[in-house]
Amino acid sequence: MAPSDCGGQALKRRFGAGVDNLSRNVDRINQLNVFPVPDGDTGINLYHTVRRAYREIERCDSDDVSVIAGRFAYGALMGARGNSGTILSQLLKGFADGLGEASTISAERLAVACNAAVAQSYTAVSAPTEGTILTVAREAAEDLQRGDRGSESLRKMLERLVATARASLANTPDLLPILREADVVDAGGMGLLCFLEGMQNGTSRTQVTSFQPTASLPAPAVHAESYGYDVQFLMIGADLDIDEARRELEQIGWSVIVASAGDTIKVHIHARNPAIPLDFAIKSGAALDDVVVENMELQVQQRQSEGLALADRGDTEPSGVSVVAVVEGEGLRAVYQSLRCSAIVPGGGGHNPAAEDIVAAINETPSERVIVLPNDSNIALAARQAADLVAGKQASVVATENVLQGIGAMLAFGDALDAEADFDATATKMRAAADDIRSVEITRASRSTSFGGLQINQNDFIALVDGTIRAASPDLDDVAVEALAALQTSGAELATIYYGAGVSARETDQLIRRLTKSIGGLEFEAVYGGQPLYPFLISVE
Amino acid sequence: MTSSHIRIAADSVCDLPAELVDLLNINIIPTYVNIGGESIPDDGASLDRSRFFRDLPAMSSLPTTAAPSPGDAEAFYRAILDDGAERIVSIHVPEKLSGTLNAMRLGARSVGEARVTLVDSLQLTFGIGFQVWAAAELAAQGAALETILDAIERVRLHTRVYAIIDTMEYLRRSGRVNTLVASLGGLLKIKPIVRVNEGEVTSIGRARTWSRAVRRLRELTLEQTPIERLAILHIANRPGAASFLEDIGDLAPSDTLVIETSPTLGAHIGPGAIGVATLNAEWRH
Repeated sequence: MAPSDCGGQALKRRFGAGVDNLSRNVDRINQLNVFPVPDGDTGINLYHTVRRAYREIERCDSDDVSVIAGRFAYGALMGARGNSGTILSQLLKGFADGLGEASTISAERLAVACNAAVAQSYTAVSAPTEGTILTVAREAAEDLQRGDRGSESLRKMLERLVATARASLANTPDLLPILREADVVDAGGMGLLCFLEGMQNGTSRTQVTSFQPTASLPAPAVHAESYGYDVQFLMIGADLDIDEARRELEQIGWSVIVASAGDTIKVHIHARNPAIPLDFAIKSGAALDDVVVENMELQVQQRQSEGLALADRGDTEPSGVSVVAVVEGEGLRAVYQSLRCSAIVPGGGGHNPAAEDIVAAINETPSERVIVLPNDSNIALAARQAADLVAGKQASVVATENVLQGIGAMLAFGDALDAEADFDATATKMRAAADDIRSVEITRASRSTSFGGLQINQNDFIALVDGTIRAASPDLDDVAVEALAALQTSGAELATIYYGAGVSARETDQLIRRLTKSIGGLEFEAVYGGQPLYPFLISVE
Repeated sequence: MTSSHIRIAADSVCDLPAELVDLLNINIIPTYVNIGGESIPDDGASLDRSRFFRDLPAMSSLPTTAAPSPGDAEAFYRAILDDGAERIVSIHVPEKLSGTLNAMRLGARSVGEARVTLVDSLQLTFGIGFQVWAAAELAAQGAALETILDAIERVRLHTRVYAIIDTMEYLRRSGRVNTLVASLGGLLKIKPIVRVNEGEVTSIGRARTWSRAVRRLRELTLEQTPIERLAILHIANRPGAASFLEDIGDLAPSDTLVIETSPTLGAHIGPGAIGVATLNAEWRH
């Protein structure tokens, strides 16, 4: 190790200091909410993400940076919450991958790992937006690779990384007009900067606040579906492309898991014909090892003939597809359950579940194939991450943006079950049904601002119509009436009003009487939702 | 009137109009509707269907339905045999949903089981009606028993019966289709689209609005072209049935029937529902 290089335990201390500094700045980061709706709690999301990450290394004595970084990244992937948390977890995963087998970090290695981190994070979002945490990370990492940086010491490199990140963060309002309008810098970028600053300064710190160990993730459910073969093998070869392998294998079978270590790719796949994945592996130039083929159908028959009860699959759906949804509010939960949603993760409206909460819910369902409804654009990334992380099941995200779209999707799910539609067709139907729902979400403004010509005062009721603020007023019913008028309800027949916690059925009926008078041709239905923060959620179809 | 050696019998759930019943020499045994303390046979005379459905929403307790008694069945068969029939093919509401077949079996035992062939139609309303209609046409031509039974089977396989239901209230209260009700979810108002198949009523769709349900019913109907026979069914919703028929346009055969279904079925489904029974022309091949 060169004198300035960093070993595993030093990296652990730096991570700890980063977590600590981020934790101290949660409120500051939260206050950078861009939208005056209570779903931008970036600080708390990042905090949960890095705390969970640190739990993985807390008791790890390894002085190997690849071990520490790998475990920290794993914890972040599992604990990721919100979009920024998910992006941070991807940065950490890329960072760990970029370190490779290295046991210490040199200045040069730091630059390589940071750039690998950025590359990984950009692949995690379908439409990367500049002026966010992504930009801050990218500009800081790019600077490390410039010119003669390789000769600098690690300490100097970290200083530079933080300084560039700070400058980049200050520039975010120039890249993202919405930040400029609200006169803030990007909250996620701010969170990253806090983490990096902590890492830069905090080498002396040995420990962050310790955590209670929590229960480990539930084991994947028993494979009781009786279709096809379970095929596992190792592909060995120097030039194997793991992404290509994953893509190809996903065409061949289901429940595909592909993981790589060095020159080896571990494959797990369910396929109707086991020869096809093996054939693909040979043709890709790999040597095969450790081939295991099991006939799942026979296994099930065997269990049945032995008189053993199969795992309790009481609510297993005939087509073997289950739904996991993120829903807040007891009434809405009941609606989802009545529409055969197998597992519900509490969350939404500013309280974002971690990827591992969603993983646990996916594992809880009786099916091998699971559709996840995030019901919030801030949860979509964590849901995708959970779908990728889950082992032994195929999970797919139908990116619903609110619980109302999710209910539309659940109705289509019932139809798909009736038709015994396959997994992809089910997801497609649910997506289309979600898109048919028009939504009005009414909540309170968390701060004063102006938006699209509307002057909004803190605590005003505001209505988001299909995701965009269209009405604001101190009077709840006024906002609802205005929002429905803005919705252009011609052609629509039914408005379902889910009333939240703190609103009574009688108040909802009063609103409906007023709406019936002012908006013609629309039928209204009141349903108890019990959701926090949103007095009324209204779907129009 | 000459009676062919095989006679076709059915229960009133088959919904065949009286003119067809007379024309094809079919024998219909009425099922019963119990309203309050009264048990009224659905024989086309004792119970005014339209009036029954008009009054249904206001009835303090939901009417129940009842199969004919084994004694009714015995008398029914005896009368047909006394009229000169050698055999009876007797087509009925599914055993899964009604005690009718069991009563008919007991009745058949009393008159000599060998002379009565019982058929579970596995269908409802005109889904039974198409089978009875085709069987009676063949019987009138003097067809053999095997030919008639084979035709009934093929008609059944080419029949589709769909309905859209305006309110879940009656299904829920009926208790006969609990799995159907459970599959539809109870907390939102839903206009279920159901199919009658293999003796069961199953959901195939959930519309939140009536007009979407109607669109879906139309699509399902058009999937069945070429349609040889079509019946538009309704429960206290003649305007809905008429406008649906208009929607189908030229694809509907000229002899399409508009039928208000029997109270025996309607009491479980509730006013407002409309449905279709289609017989695809392929059944003859």
